[in-house]
Amino acid sequence: MGNKMNLPIMKLILWFFMLFTLSGCFGGREINDLEIVIGIGVDKNESAGNILLTAQIVKENETGGTGKDGGGEDKAFWNVNSTGNSIFEAVRQITHKTGNRLFISHNQAVIFGKDIASEGLEKYIDFFLRAHEMRPTALILIAEDRASDVMDAKPETKKFPAVNIEKLVESYAFTSHLYKVNMKDFASCMMSDTKAPMAPLVSVMQDKENKDIYVSGLAVFKKGRMVGKLNEDEVRGLLWVLGKVKSGVITVSSPNEQGSAVLEILSAKSKVTPELKDKRIVMHIKIKEESSLSEQTTTENLATDSAFERMQKASAEIIRQEILAAFDKSKELNADIFGFGEMLHKKYGNEWKALKDNWDDLYPSVELKIDVESKIIKTDLLKKPAWQSEGGK
Amino acid sequence: MIFLLLIYALIFIINVPGLVKKKEWRELTFFSILYIIAFTLGLLYVLDVHIPSPMKGLQYLIVDILGIKYQQ
Amino acid sequence: MNIEKGKITGQQLLFLIAGFVQGSVLLIDFTVGITEHQTWMVILVGLAVSTPFFLSYVMLAKRFAGMNLVQINDMVYGRFLGKVVSLYYIFFFLLTLSFNIRDVGELYITFLMPDTPFVLLLVVFTATCAYAVSKGIEVLARVSHLFVFIGIFVIISTFPLLLDQMDFSNFLPFFELPFGKIFQGVHIVSSVPFGETVVFLAIMGSLNNTEHVIKRTYSGLLIGAATLLIVAVRNIAVLGKTQTIWTSMSFQSIRLIDIGTILTRLDFLVGIAQTVLIFLKCSLFFYALAVSLSQLFGLKSYLPLILPLAGIEVVIAATVFQSPVDHAMITQNAGIIYSIPLMFVIPLLSLLIAKIRGLPKFERGKGT
Repeated sequence: MGNKMNLPIMKLILWFFMLFTLSGCFGGREINDLEIVIGIGVDKNESAGNILLTAQIVKENETGGTGKDGGGEDKAFWNVNSTGNSIFEAVRQITHKTGNRLFISHNQAVIFGKDIASEGLEKYIDFFLRAHEMRPTALILIAEDRASDVMDAKPETKKFPAVNIEKLVESYAFTSHLYKVNMKDFASCMMSDTKAPMAPLVSVMQDKENKDIYVSGLAVFKKGRMVGKLNEDEVRGLLWVLGKVKSGVITVSSPNEQGSAVLEILSAKSKVTPELKDKRIVMHIKIKEESSLSEQTTTENLATDSAFERMQKASAEIIRQEILAAFDKSKELNADIFGFGEMLHKKYGNEWKALKDNWDDLYPSVELKIDVESKIIKTDLLKKPAWQSEGGK
Repeated sequence: MIFLLLIYALIFIINVPGLVKKKEWRELTFFSILYIIAFTLGLLYVLDVHIPSPMKGLQYLIVDILGIKYQQ
Repeated sequence: MNIEKGKITGQQLLFLIAGFVQGSVLLIDFTVGITEHQTWMVILVGLAVSTPFFLSYVMLAKRFAGMNLVQINDMVYGRFLGKVVSLYYIFFFLLTLSFNIRDVGELYITFLMPDTPFVLLLVVFTATCAYAVSKGIEVLARVSHLFVFIGIFVIISTFPLLLDQMDFSNFLPFFELPFGKIFQGVHIVSSVPFGETVVFLAIMGSLNNTEHVIKRTYSGLLIGAATLLIVAVRNIAVLGKTQTIWTSMSFQSIRLIDIGTILTRLDFLVGIAQTVLIFLKCSLFFYALAVSLSQLFGLKSYLPLILPLAGIEVVIAATVFQSPVDHAMITQNAGIIYSIPLMFVIPLLSLLIAKIRGLPKFERGKGT
C-alpha cells in the first residue's frame, strides 16, 4: 500500500531523529559531572536553616599515592555540608560547594542524627522515598549523636565510611544484635497505625586516636519520633519473636557451675499466634531453636544427655528472658515493635477496627505466652574437652 | 515551531501526491479535513494557547451535571 | 466490502488479545489505590464479570464474519443510528488512544528519562505506531507473538527474584474493604484492561476463519488476565502496606531486587516490557480508529488518514491531563462511566437485535 514511507530518505531522517530522543540524550550527564554520593547524613542545625546535610562523595584519585608515606593518607571521599529548610533544598544548596548536582543513585545509607530523630522523621523522610534517583533498598540508620561525626570516622575495612556502615549492617546475622532496615521497610512501618518503626543505631567509639564506627542496637520510633532504644539483648529478644535470628552466641553456665558453655545459634524459627479472648489479648509465641556447642570454659565433659538437657533448658530460659526484656522495654516505651497490632489485624479483621484506636492503651496489657524449645544438635569437632576433670559422668 | 511546520510539510508530501495521482478525491477530502484539524491543534499547542481537554469536559458533564460518581 | 486486505489467523488473534491485556499491567495501579491488598480478588471478579461481555463481542464478530465494527453497526441499527453509534465508538478509540500514548510518556518522564521533553516522546512513539498501522494488521499480528513472550518473560523472571522479599501475610485480612470500594475496583478492572477489548470488534473482521474463535480469543484473554494477576500478587506480597503511596507499584517492586549486588537496578526490564506492550495496545487502537473512521467516510483505504490522526492524537495526549494525578483521578471516575454503554450495553444489544432480526442478511438489496 505504498502511498507513504516510500522514500528511504524520509525513513532515515526519522530514525536519526529517534536515535536522539530515545537514548535519553537530554538527560545525559557525563561521569565527570557526577558527584557520586555514597552516604547521606542529616542533622539538626541551630543557625541558618533547619537541617545540616552531610553528603559523602567519592573523590577521583588524582595521584598514585606514591611518595606520600607517613601520615597524610589520601581519603578517597570527602564530606560536604550544607544547610537548608528541607532536604531537597539542602541537596541543591550543596551545588554551591561542589559545582555539580549530587548523584544519589549509589547511596548506600542515610543516617539521621539523634536530634532529628527525636524531633520526628516524618518531616524529613519524604524526599528519600520520592526522589527518582534514590533506591528503596538504601539502608536507614540513626546516629547516637551527630550524623556528621559518623561520616567523618575513618573506616578500616572499606574505603568509605558509608560503605563500611552498610557492610556492618548487612552482617547483622552474625550476632543478631541489630537488624537491617531499608527505606521501604521504614516507610511501611510508618504507614501502619500501630507498628513501631525501628532503625539500627550507629555510634562512634573513640579508641585512643582512632575513631571506630560501631553499629549495634535499634532505635525505636513511635510514628516518626524516636522514643527510645533497644540494647543488644533486647534486640535479639525482638528478633527471636520475628523469626529473624540467623546466628549468634548464647552463653549458659555449665551444669557444674564452674564455668560456662557457649552455644552458637544455628537456626531459629518462631510462630506467633494472636488470640483475642474476651477482652484479653494473648500472644502465643513458640520458638524452636537449634544450636551447637562451640566453646566451653569448664573442664567438665558436657557431651552427655543430662548436661545437654541442662544446657538446653538454660539456653531456653535465656531466650525467654531476652524476649521478655524486649517486651518490657517496648511496654515502657509503649511502642509496638513486634507488630502484634498488625498480627491481630490480620487474624481478627472485624474486631481490629474497634481496637486500633485504643492500641496505645491496650498494648501494655498484652499477655505473652512463650514456649521455647532449644536443641543442641552438634558439638563441632570436639567430643570432650581437652582438659578433663574427674567425675565426668 | 519550525519543527511543527516541518512535520506537517512532511505529512503533506507523503500523502498528497499519491492521492492526487490516483485521483482519489474522496480520500483527499477527508484527509484534508483531518489534516487541517491536526495542523490547527498543533499550531495552537505550539503557540501555548490553552486547548480544552475533552476529558475534563466529560468529567464535568458526568460528575457535576449528572452527578454519577464514586465516593472518593 | 473490506478495507483491510490482510487476514489474520485465530492464533494470531490469541496473541493480539493476550498482548493487549498485558499492556494494561501498569494500569492496574489505578485500582490498587482503591482496593489495596484485595486487588487480586478484584481482578478475578472483574474477569468473571467481563467474561459474558467479552463473549458477546466475539459472538458478534462470529455472526458478522468478515465485517468490521462500522459495518456491523450500520447493519444492526440502520444507516443513521448506526453511524451515530459508530461515532461514539470512534470518539472512545480516539480518547483512549490518547490516554495510552500519554501513559507511555508519563512512564518515561517519571522513571526512565526525566529530562526529555514530553511532546518529543509522544511524537516519536505515535510516529512509530502510525508506521506500524500503515503496514496493516497482518504485520501487527505477527509481531504480537514476540511481544507477548517478552511480557511473560519479564513477569516470570522478576517473580522468583523477589521471592525472599515477599510477605504473604500481606494478603490478610481477606475481606476488609467496604463494598463500595470493591465495586469501584471491579468496575475499573472490567473496564480498563478487559472492557477495552471491545476494540477487537474492529479487528476481528480480518479473521480468515471463525471456527475456533471463541476458544482462541478467550484463551488470549485468560493469558492476559493471568499476567495481571501475577503482577498484582507480586506487588501486594512485596510492597504490602506501602502500595498505595507509590506512583507506580510495579516499578517500585522491581527496584527492590538486589541480589548479590549484581542483579540490581532492573527497572529497565519493566520499562521495556511495558513500552513494547503499550505499543501493541496503541497500534491496535490506532488501527481500529483509522479503519472505523475511513469505513464511516466510505473511503477505499485507511492509509491517508493515519498521519493526520497521529497529529491530532499527539496534541490531545499532550493536553488532555495535566499530570499523572489528574489522569488517575479522572480515570477512576468519569473515565469508566462514559464507556459503560460502549463496553457493556451496546454489543449485547447488537447481538440481541441481530438475533431478533435474523441478521446478517446477505441479499444486497436489503438496506445495509
